[in-house]
Amino acid sequence: MTSTRFRTGFALAALGLAFAQPSAAQSGRLAGLEVRIGAVVPSSGPFAEWGRTNTATLKMLEDEVNAAGGVEGAKLRVIVYDDSAKPPQAANLVRRLAEDDKVLAIAGPLTSSAAEVAFPVANQMKLVSMSQASSKPGVSALNRPWAFRNTVDELVLAKTSVPFFKDAYKVATVAVIYDAKDANSVSLGSRIMPGLMKENGIKIVNEGSFLTFNTGDVDVSAQVTTLRSLNPDGVIVAADYSQAITVIREMKRQGFTKPVIGGTPLISAAILKAAPEIPVVAPATFFLGDTAGPSARFVTALQPILRKTQGLPAEIEPSMYDANIYEIVSLYIDAIKKAGVSGKPDQLAQDREKIQKYVATSGAYTGFAGKVSFNPDGDAIKSFYIVVGQGGKWAERVRGCSAPGGKGC
Amino acid sequence: MIALQQLLNGLTLGAVYTLVALAFSLVMGVLGVLNIAVAELFMVGAYVGLSALAHGAPLPVAVLAGMGSAGVLALVIERVAYRPFAGAPPIVPLLSTLGCSIVLQNAVVNLFGSDPLQLPDSAVGTAFEFAGLRISTPQLTVIGCAILLVGIVAWLVQRTRFGRALRAVAENPGVARLLGVPAQRVVSGTFLLSGVLAGAAGVLIGLHYSAVSPFVGADAGLKAIAVMVIGGVTRIWGVLLAGPLVGIAEVMTIYLGGSAVRDFVVYGLMIATLLLRPHGLLGKPPGQEGERL
Repeated sequence: MTSTRFRTGFALAALGLAFAQPSAAQSGRLAGLEVRIGAVVPSSGPFAEWGRTNTATLKMLEDEVNAAGGVEGAKLRVIVYDDSAKPPQAANLVRRLAEDDKVLAIAGPLTSSAAEVAFPVANQMKLVSMSQASSKPGVSALNRPWAFRNTVDELVLAKTSVPFFKDAYKVATVAVIYDAKDANSVSLGSRIMPGLMKENGIKIVNEGSFLTFNTGDVDVSAQVTTLRSLNPDGVIVAADYSQAITVIREMKRQGFTKPVIGGTPLISAAILKAAPEIPVVAPATFFLGDTAGPSARFVTALQPILRKTQGLPAEIEPSMYDANIYEIVSLYIDAIKKAGVSGKPDQLAQDREKIQKYVATSGAYTGFAGKVSFNPDGDAIKSFYIVVGQGGKWAERVRGCSAPGGKGC
Repeated sequence: MIALQQLLNGLTLGAVYTLVALAFSLVMGVLGVLNIAVAELFMVGAYVGLSALAHGAPLPVAVLAGMGSAGVLALVIERVAYRPFAGAPPIVPLLSTLGCSIVLQNAVVNLFGSDPLQLPDSAVGTAFEFAGLRISTPQLTVIGCAILLVGIVAWLVQRTRFGRALRAVAENPGVARLLGVPAQRVVSGTFLLSGVLAGAAGVLIGLHYSAVSPFVGADAGLKAIAVMVIGGVTRIWGVLLAGPLVGIAEVMTIYLGGSAVRDFVVYGLMIATLLLRPHGLLGKPPGQEGERL
């Protein structure tokens, strides 16, 4: 854990200069070439909001880079495909990006379920694929050396969020409810959180009979009535925010306003409206409440673009996953520049390998909240925050680092 | 007491299933067609109704807006996905209405986004405790409106000129036409009535849970089809029995056995009905069907 200030030499700021610059003449080592990066995001289906904001984010980055003269003079092209958060579709798209579009590396897929199926394909095709949201433990570790995640394992994050939850809300007992159809939620709700709660001396009142629901369920009244009857001090809600909203709304409807704890998928602006009086504790690797520094600049640049994008609500806010995917593609650009990527079609395999080695070993990249590097499992080592959503806004409570020992971010 | 509370939860859910199943059952009973798009009309009704409530409209106006929008869309579906295929095998309108349901879901995702639409606190009802039971005003509204709407449909079908025409077409469309019944108008009226019911159910469920997502239709629609089958496809009033039964069975299963077995019970009930009593709880065996409506 660390409370050090973020590095000011923020590499992305250089790209951000493009906002103030007219289109620069393309010159440099790769002048006249086109570098292609692929992206797999869910622009339709239950996570369409995330996929569409991801797409707009990548378009903004592409425009910034090309307006600033491209990547070493080469034109940047980000090819974005929609997997609808369907694992088989994600796997097919990774293959298509590798074989047909001949991209250098891929950002995505977003969900753990899709990553579990798409990462083996990336491994087989020998190109880097990096998820912007998957945080189920072990997903990239099983698919080394080409799979990465610009996220922190939920287990690492929960080791900080659970003690905070216990102390801040005097929690001695908790009850568990999770989305049984979502890989990350099952892992978080049935294993990670219960294990850490016990380690921290918190009793689980529905041990052995955890409550579940299915993605898409609108009625969770039976589950919440049962939760209420157990009268715990707090509730573990392991679900993505859109499902968690259903649970938290029902808790409010039944007058059961106990504090909630969950994983990174809870982080959203929408969940703040569900029940402003119920505190929601969650970890984040990008803090929307930041009012100064690179995160704030990113939000300031992206928000008006998102709000003008068709198919997104008028009050949409940039998400943590927009920041993550921006970092991923910026990291690839960094790799292209610094690892001597040729950009030549006949050296595609070698170029992909150079990017993989740079991502895996360099550790020189600086993201929104400081340095970003990767552990041997392919998961990001970066700063994170434990935040509390209450009264309509997120507030930072604890800042940490996912490196072993909590130092080095 | 917790069992009673769960029973109330089940009754509320069952009331919504009843309305959606009745919407399915009307088209099925009169035209012998499964209009899959009913599930998404339910979702559209919920979005329109909740948007109206969120903008300060009173509840009756919101319900009427949800019903009206779903009704109009049902008429469009009849025009583009049923009428051109009149006389085709039932699989054809089933597939064309499935196409409509996908279009509707995508349209709502594009218009409203994939995040749940949430009612502001000012539009969420209150709750009170009675004999240890926590009862919310939206819960009472859902059950009350469902009973009222079913009563109105029963009156329409049994006591009005439109209802007589509806029953005539349901029994034998060819003979009904020969006797001067305006069959096309009856078909449009059936779709309209079905859409209005689905829209009302959508507003009510949105009001009850104070949030709705563009994906709410699929699950509720499948459950409503199960309700229709359990009640009896050849006898639309079977849903009045099967709706509460499925709602209570679902909630009690979650309470006693957990969510993991919920769908086994609900759809198991449907399969058991098909195996043991293929004509459903209130239906009659082939040859003795009697009146469908």
